Amino acid sequence: MSFRAFIASAKGAAIAAAHAVIVASLAACGSAEAPLGDRPVAGPPPIDADVSHLPSGRPGGVFFGTLVGMPRTFNPLQSSEDAPSATAVSRLLEGLTRFDAAREEIVPGLARDWEISDDQKTFTFHLRRGVRWSDGHPFTADDVVFTFQVIYDERYPNRRKSELSVDGKPFEVEKIDDHTVRFRTAEVYAPFLLYIGTPIMPRHRLWSAYEDGTFLRAWSVRDAQLDPEAMVSTGPLVLERFRPAERIVYRANPHYWRVDAAGQRLPYMDRLIERIVRSQQSSTLAFAHGQSDYEGIEVRNVAWVKRNAADYDFEVHDRGPSQSTNFIWFNQNRGADRNGRPYVEPHKLEWFRDARFRQAISWAIDRDGIVSGVLLGRGLPLWGPISPANRSWHNPDVQHYPYDPERARTLLREAGFTWDQDGRLRDRHGNAVAFSLATNEDNDVRQAIGLVFVDNMKRLGIDVRLQPLDFNTFVAKVMNSFDYEAGLLGLTGSWDPQGGWSVYHSTGRLHMWYPAQAEPSTEWEARIDQLMERQLRTLDVEERRRHIFEVQEILAREQPLIYTVTVNSYEGLQDRWRNLDPPQMGSLIWNYDELWTENLLLR
Amino acid sequence: MKTLIAKRLLILIPMLLAVSLMVSLLMSLAPGDPVTQFEMMPDVDEDYLQRLREDFGLDKPWYVQYFHWLGQVVPFSYDPQAASFFQRFDFTPNFGFSYHYRTEVWDLIVQRLPATILLSLTSLLLAWLIAIPLGVLAAIYKDSVFDRISQMLAYAALSIPEFFLALLALVFAAWTGWFPIGGFTSTEYDFLSPWGKFLDIAHHLLLPTIVLGIGGVAGIMRIMRANFLDNIRAEYVTTARAKGLSEGVVMFRHVFRNAINPLITAAGFAFSSILSGALLVEIVMNYPGIGQLVYDALLQQDAFVVQAAVLMSVIMLMLGNLLADVALSMNDPRIRYD
Repeated sequence: MSFRAFIASAKGAAIAAAHAVIVASLAACGSAEAPLGDRPVAGPPPIDADVSHLPSGRPGGVFFGTLVGMPRTFNPLQSSEDAPSATAVSRLLEGLTRFDAAREEIVPGLARDWEISDDQKTFTFHLRRGVRWSDGHPFTADDVVFTFQVIYDERYPNRRKSELSVDGKPFEVEKIDDHTVRFRTAEVYAPFLLYIGTPIMPRHRLWSAYEDGTFLRAWSVRDAQLDPEAMVSTGPLVLERFRPAERIVYRANPHYWRVDAAGQRLPYMDRLIERIVRSQQSSTLAFAHGQSDYEGIEVRNVAWVKRNAADYDFEVHDRGPSQSTNFIWFNQNRGADRNGRPYVEPHKLEWFRDARFRQAISWAIDRDGIVSGVLLGRGLPLWGPISPANRSWHNPDVQHYPYDPERARTLLREAGFTWDQDGRLRDRHGNAVAFSLATNEDNDVRQAIGLVFVDNMKRLGIDVRLQPLDFNTFVAKVMNSFDYEAGLLGLTGSWDPQGGWSVYHSTGRLHMWYPAQAEPSTEWEARIDQLMERQLRTLDVEERRRHIFEVQEILAREQPLIYTVTVNSYEGLQDRWRNLDPPQMGSLIWNYDELWTENLLLR
Repeated sequence: MKTLIAKRLLILIPMLLAVSLMVSLLMSLAPGDPVTQFEMMPDVDEDYLQRLREDFGLDKPWYVQYFHWLGQVVPFSYDPQAASFFQRFDFTPNFGFSYHYRTEVWDLIVQRLPATILLSLTSLLLAWLIAIPLGVLAAIYKDSVFDRISQMLAYAALSIPEFFLALLALVFAAWTGWFPIGGFTSTEYDFLSPWGKFLDIAHHLLLPTIVLGIGGVAGIMRIMRANFLDNIRAEYVTTARAKGLSEGVVMFRHVFRNAINPLITAAGFAFSSILSGALLVEIVMNYPGIGQLVYDALLQQDAFVVQAAVLMSVIMLMLGNLLADVALSMNDPRIRYD
């Protein structure tokens, strides 16, 4: 037997044996002697089970995924700081409400329904009866009260607290009975129902850590490795095995509270196995060779991945514009550093603070050129902070700036700029117009956009120097020392516009062009502040939308942030999965608990 | 001998202090801090970032952070109220706290330790098992074709960087399909029988072991050959042959034992690289060991993880040297440390 044949047969035998174990135990579903891959049944579903509206499927199968980067922690209070941890915790802990991505609305989660008082400040939630944690412990109002007790505790700083407060005042949380909880907000708070979907934590597991002051260290990666089942779940899955830097194995939560139309408990999949990889590239490579079921594919990889689709039975879905944005902005900060030196040279500040200058720059950017040249047609010109992917909040009727250098020249002339005999743009004091454009060096698309921009500006007689910086250096310049002239950056939007508060409001930390102002420095910024405050104080979606639409109009008119393009989103999925419910925005497999398959394993 | 051990251990203390001070200084020179990465998230509020920096002590100068860390590593406290004499002293050292994983650094290191030690031991074993016989043979059959070829291969192996070899190994694995492309266990691992688990890990270990081992083979073989040649020409060899001892006894009882001395020193150094030697190979071959942890910690400015790893390397180096010296004196009665 040759070496190659030996290895192949040994490997084949090992894998076949493993598959046999998995499949056999799948077949022996629920029987007591199945050692692995069994699917324990936890009695009848809860009285208040949530019923899926999708067609019923067949249970079984393993979903293979990849995770770029390892979770930092499984601690629900700190998990929202990075994507791998947030993903891991979202599989385990559910909130009172859920976001239905396909219909873009808030739907009941652990709460069966709720009532809102006439003054719109009191919310009474009725919890689903009969719901249990994955260890069989009943889920009650005590868990809800406990969760908010932890979040608001001074000892445990966390990111969720600010979302779950109005004007810095925490919600009042009151247990009415075992299945009823009442919340009271100090003021009317528009995104209440969205943010109240924060993961509910198990009191019976975490109370002691809460009391002895070690909550922030609970459920660390070490705990997950040693005792995965202790991380109890109300979600579709439970943690079965965590191997640091290798993989996470989840199995179906026998106590999950969602069922299909036939009364069969969800999720359909028996297991979800996520391999931890070090880069997006190796994740995509694995998917393209049939080694994983799902992959978010970067634009530059779409073409070659698609070529493998027939060989490996997957499909690459073109999901339209994404929520990502890319924008250029000028430093309009009027302040000065410790030595009294202004952050921006006064004559440059004069250009940057002139709306006509910014509009002229915007007219002179060839966005279609960027889309075709940089993104190979896989993107769209972008005119504001909320991308067209977000159909609930995107305002399509704002001022657009299609490529028009003549228009740019006219505007610049109006603003007192002239061109010298060498074709260089000069301001009214005779200064040549030139500036540097800082950006972070680790983003290829952004750098390419920067290069197109430099070229576009050269045609206008403006000399732009592209300055790629290490991310931390860039952040320090933009956020602390304000020692830069123009920046190029992207922020990924959230569905609810309140998520952009710190960008829109003049006191905001990410009000990039002039952050943390004591008083709004212009009338239009004052107007945006007013609109943002108003949209926050109503539960009427139509009214909120009016305010947010006006914010987008003002931003498009004044161009403090000159938006360039948004990249299209592409997702690959193995053909074997059924019951897709694709949303306009967000992941194709957001409803992974409802997906089912007839081919239990990847081939 | 005892004085030697005591001296070495005493020297370790100022050494560790100096090295840790250096690491702290260097880590503080990098722009930004572990909280910087959150600054560009629109929905993270300023107060929280401020609070994080305060809780981690990042708002203080680097030397204050250093002494704070030192206080944790050597938390020597005296409690006169305690019941018994021994309970008055509390000495529970720890390696500090990881900003990134929000847990004890030691927990993280323990997670990764088994994989790294396993790889280091297999590659050391491979290197020594191949290199010593090869070196001896090359010396006995000096200037033969075998000697020439092994010399050439040794030079080649020494001059190829490890990371490049690791890349070649990955390409080889992908091209032939004989080996897994990096990693430590397969996806099916958790569902395998104990024997299957053993085979699976062995299958994954083979390529990284060879990659790490090759450099070692070349180095040790060359030392072995040179020393063996030196000793073959020594007068005691002539004496032994004159006594009528067989060639085998001369070579392996007398020459070999004398020629092995420098290798004991080399073994001491090898011991010191058990934790850190595989860094590049681990990163390239996606091997979930200490090397990966440290590399990520450097990128994330997770200072105390880096600190712990560097200090452990220093300790291993000193211990390795010490062990080598002790072993040398045991092998060769002429060597004394007084």
